[in-house]
Amino acid sequence: MGDEREIAVDYLARVEGEGAMYLRLEGDEVLDLRFKIFEPPRFFEAFLRGRRFSEAPDITARICGICPVAYQTSACNAMEHAAAVTLPDQLRALRRMLFCGEWIESHGLHVFFLHAPDFLGYESAIAMAADMPERIETGLRLKKLGNTVMTVLGGREIHPINVRVGGFYRVPTKTELEALVPELEWALEAAVDTVHWVAGFPFPEFERDYEFVALRHPERYAIEEGRIVSNRGLDIPVTDWSHVFEESHVAWSNALHATVKKRGSYHVGPMARYSLNSQQLSPGAQRAAIDAGLGDTCTNPFRSIVVRAVEIAFACEEILSLIDDYDRPAEPSIEVVPNGQIGHGASEAPRGLLYHRYEIDHGGMIADVDIVPPTSQNQLSIEEDLVTFVPPHAHLADDDLQWQLEQAIRNYDPCISCATHFLDLTVDRLGIGP
Amino acid sequence: MIGIGNEFRGDDAAGPAVARGIRSGETLVRAGASVELLERWSGWDEVIVIDAMRSGAPPGTVSRFDAACERLPRGRFVSSHAMGFSDVVELARRLGRLPSRLIVYGIEAEELTLGAGLSPAVCTAVEQLTAAIDQESLHA
Repeated sequence: MGDEREIAVDYLARVEGEGAMYLRLEGDEVLDLRFKIFEPPRFFEAFLRGRRFSEAPDITARICGICPVAYQTSACNAMEHAAAVTLPDQLRALRRMLFCGEWIESHGLHVFFLHAPDFLGYESAIAMAADMPERIETGLRLKKLGNTVMTVLGGREIHPINVRVGGFYRVPTKTELEALVPELEWALEAAVDTVHWVAGFPFPEFERDYEFVALRHPERYAIEEGRIVSNRGLDIPVTDWSHVFEESHVAWSNALHATVKKRGSYHVGPMARYSLNSQQLSPGAQRAAIDAGLGDTCTNPFRSIVVRAVEIAFACEEILSLIDDYDRPAEPSIEVVPNGQIGHGASEAPRGLLYHRYEIDHGGMIADVDIVPPTSQNQLSIEEDLVTFVPPHAHLADDDLQWQLEQAIRNYDPCISCATHFLDLTVDRLGIGP
Repeated sequence: MIGIGNEFRGDDAAGPAVARGIRSGETLVRAGASVELLERWSGWDEVIVIDAMRSGAPPGTVSRFDAACERLPRGRFVSSHAMGFSDVVELARRLGRLPSRLIVYGIEAEELTLGAGLSPAVCTAVEQLTAAIDQESLHA
């Protein structure tokens, strides 16, 4: 027991929300490891009950200030599925454009401000700004572009007010969208340059054989809709989510852990999307990925920063192409009546698959809700990464080991605030150690 | 004038309360500090920021900092998100994007509970600071 040691990080930095990590090891053997989410539960599913179906996009958007569009989209998809209606192409294209804006904003924040400092040995983006102000300026400008796209389409940059079940309240003119083109062209170039920059970072050698889970669409890199697929043969409609996956509670986390039934952990997010659907990326993004040395798949989570940069390039190119094809719809929305039905909806939030399920009563009120955010789904994968990472790195001094483990958590860009919305706080503390 | 804070979280609402009470200049309320502030104050020569802070002083104590000339004490301007206000200021300083005059008023918070409203000491401080800033801009 002489060389037993503990590393405890009480408050993880550069993640969204409040989380901690605890590790106890003896030699290179991990005795205990926990990625703890202590941010208090937020009970969104409970207070959605009894609200009108049409309120779900605006209420669930409030779960997250970084990925509100994902919440709005999954909620709208679920209501539209319940009502058995499909959005016309141009409204769907606008939804996708808005979503791309969110990807640019969210990935821009993570790549430049939260993750890059890890690889370059800076304590924060502020420290990094002293030596490489031009990179930080690029990050700021990309983030701003993401916000501008959100404002033009969504009415404001955070928690858009222009999204409704069945479409939008107002649709932009082609001229309004075309005003975005010069900045998007700059951003595409900047994103490709960013891919090359981050691809040159020093990455720890670390690969894992993940079950990658993401949406897939027959015609495009799935963002706003698709079937749920995995590299272990899953291929199911979104309606089958609960047949294949299950959520369970562990005492050290206020977010439910999701697993594939009888199989265990899985991995959602940019690496899963890339590994499953990279053939559908836009030409510029594909080229950037190949030039950066990414293969058909990426199984080193530290390299997720490269994939995020590729997805920024993709999102810019995609918006440009959607603007090019845009033909302003005559009506900003279609009628959706989901009364007395059950609806399932999913979308690819920046951090991965986001699943919603709603039961609507005959009066159009929400009777039951289930929301499964990406960080809940990744929790087990995060813990397994840490457990796998520790033994070969156990020789590192506590500070260095802690630095790398924190970085391993940030690989997932975890959004802890999103993950802690769940309904029942049933804590069974029996049998739980320190 | 920028008031920073969550208006539904007890004394965190102090910054917004001052900003909303001020009658001169252009005022802005933000729920939290973020890099977006760099954009918002670009083009402005003089910016006043009011935020809740925690330094251990008695609740309602008002501290004044000249952020263009001195570093703000780190970690005293509480933020539950990745970047606090002092981080944003330091980032702006390194990028050369600070306004030429940036005055920061920190109001010592007592209670940061959701739905709690302003505590009496902070309420008084908000009234006094609002009047003082109005007075100062009147004579500027």
